[in-house]
Amino acid sequence: MKKIRKFAPALIVAAPFVILMSIFLIWPTLTTIGKAFIHEDEFSFFNMARAMSGTYRDSFITTAQLSLITSLIGGGIGLLMAILLRSLPVESKSRTLADSWSAVASQLGGLPLAFAFIALLGTQGILTKVLGAFGIDLVELGFSLTGLAGWALVYLYFQIPLMFLIMTPAVSALRASWFESATSMGANAWQFWRSVGIPILLPTIVTGFVLLFVNSFSAYATAYALSTGAGQLIPLQIRFILQGNVITGEDELGFAIVTWALLLLALSLVAVTLLQRRVSRWTEQ
Amino acid sequence: MISVGKLARTGFWILLIGYFLLPMLAMARFAFQTIPTFLLTTENVFQGWGFGSLTVAFQDAGVIKSTILSLQLCATTIALTFFVLVPLTTYVEVSAPKLKPWLTGATVATWLVPPVALVVGVAATFRQVIPSFLTSPFTLTFFYSLWMLPFTYRAIDGQLRLIGAKNLFEAAQSVGCGPITFFFKVILPNLKSSLYISASLIFAAVLGEFTFASLLLKQTMPVYLWSFQSSQARAGFALALLVMVATALILGFAVARMRKRGLNFSATGI
Repeated sequence: MKKIRKFAPALIVAAPFVILMSIFLIWPTLTTIGKAFIHEDEFSFFNMARAMSGTYRDSFITTAQLSLITSLIGGGIGLLMAILLRSLPVESKSRTLADSWSAVASQLGGLPLAFAFIALLGTQGILTKVLGAFGIDLVELGFSLTGLAGWALVYLYFQIPLMFLIMTPAVSALRASWFESATSMGANAWQFWRSVGIPILLPTIVTGFVLLFVNSFSAYATAYALSTGAGQLIPLQIRFILQGNVITGEDELGFAIVTWALLLLALSLVAVTLLQRRVSRWTEQ
Repeated sequence: MISVGKLARTGFWILLIGYFLLPMLAMARFAFQTIPTFLLTTENVFQGWGFGSLTVAFQDAGVIKSTILSLQLCATTIALTFFVLVPLTTYVEVSAPKLKPWLTGATVATWLVPPVALVVGVAATFRQVIPSFLTSPFTLTFFYSLWMLPFTYRAIDGQLRLIGAKNLFEAAQSVGCGPITFFFKVILPNLKSSLYISASLIFAAVLGEFTFASLLLKQTMPVYLWSFQSSQARAGFALALLVMVATALILGFAVARMRKRGLNFSATGI
């Protein structure tokens, strides 16, 4: 009785959270994974194998390519931004502006962002026209907003600020005295960053890259608006199957694709944790 | 003599600012200038500007209806999130700090299951067990609240630590104040700014959320916007721009307020 009275408040405050998580996150997710392994009422890898073949396999590759490109380029630029703005005091106008703008832009995605790029670089886009006037034909160059390069250009709009936000706290935590002692021993800025700054920041940089990868892999609305209809990206494949799941067997395929995607995301986050441990061991030495 | 490094640095910023600014300007031009791109010349750049497309958007019954639904969803999501998160986070901070890593871990679990994947699971479960549950658009509330947990949890947890909730509770106990009085009279007033921040983050996110609503076939504003712009492109783009500016302003104010309180905005919630 005493035990119940002791734990009652904990149970009451935790109940809504546990219910929300179990019903709306855990139950649907586990069901999806479970159903991915059932074909004709029996346990089988048939769906999982099918989800990794043909066009679906190509979609996984394209999505991974896009995620890798945007996390590397976006991550690099975001990191550079954080390093270049490091010397500015936190209260300065440009820092405040960069911080606030990044917070906003990292969350902009979805339809409006796609619209903005269509107005700029679509076939009737203003920049397409201006470049055309200078004799640069984007279509001839193979650039299109519905291709890998086009998607990447749009995704960078939220990837760069996201990396900047992830890196800024870590970069500002680098002590000014380290930089001073490096310069007093004759190191230039490049040497400082190569042998001191970047190695110390490495765990955060790795985390940032992986989060960017996951972010790009899961982006849906922007991809949808840019490619209108069934596209070659995994989120769009999932939608295509979800809407056509009246056909028997096709919903199983959807479960399998989602299970593969979840597996990939889980693996990358596990990799981050392991890498971070490794890297922190290196930097401690 | 300007150094190469300085030149490269200036070039980098100019390119970056151009990259972030040009799409917005192009969108504004398309929305607020009546001349189509192919007829645009250097002579008529300054002609045909006006806010007529916004009037068209606001005279559309569907726009009004879907905007009201989105605003209602903002309100229900904020209410549910506060109900689920505030008492629990306070309890863990004050009486069960050992559970904190678990709570933090649970709130970022949404990173592992992106919306598009979750919807597949939802279709596989609810549609078969309780199909009626998915007919109401307010079902979205649960998913939105879940999806925003990493952000809202961090804002509330950070503020609780900042005000030293644990010490406050000990002080309250010593003057004979019970836990419920403590929660309503001490914690809630002190959490005001982080509750405001959480509400703004939810507001901005829900106003633009497309994935859940579109896949569960609910006519929220972004979903309606998609079909609206296919018939009324200029009005649709004007509305999208307006939503974007509104979202940016709300988020910008929330972030500025967080910075002022010494809280960091984490774009990942991790």
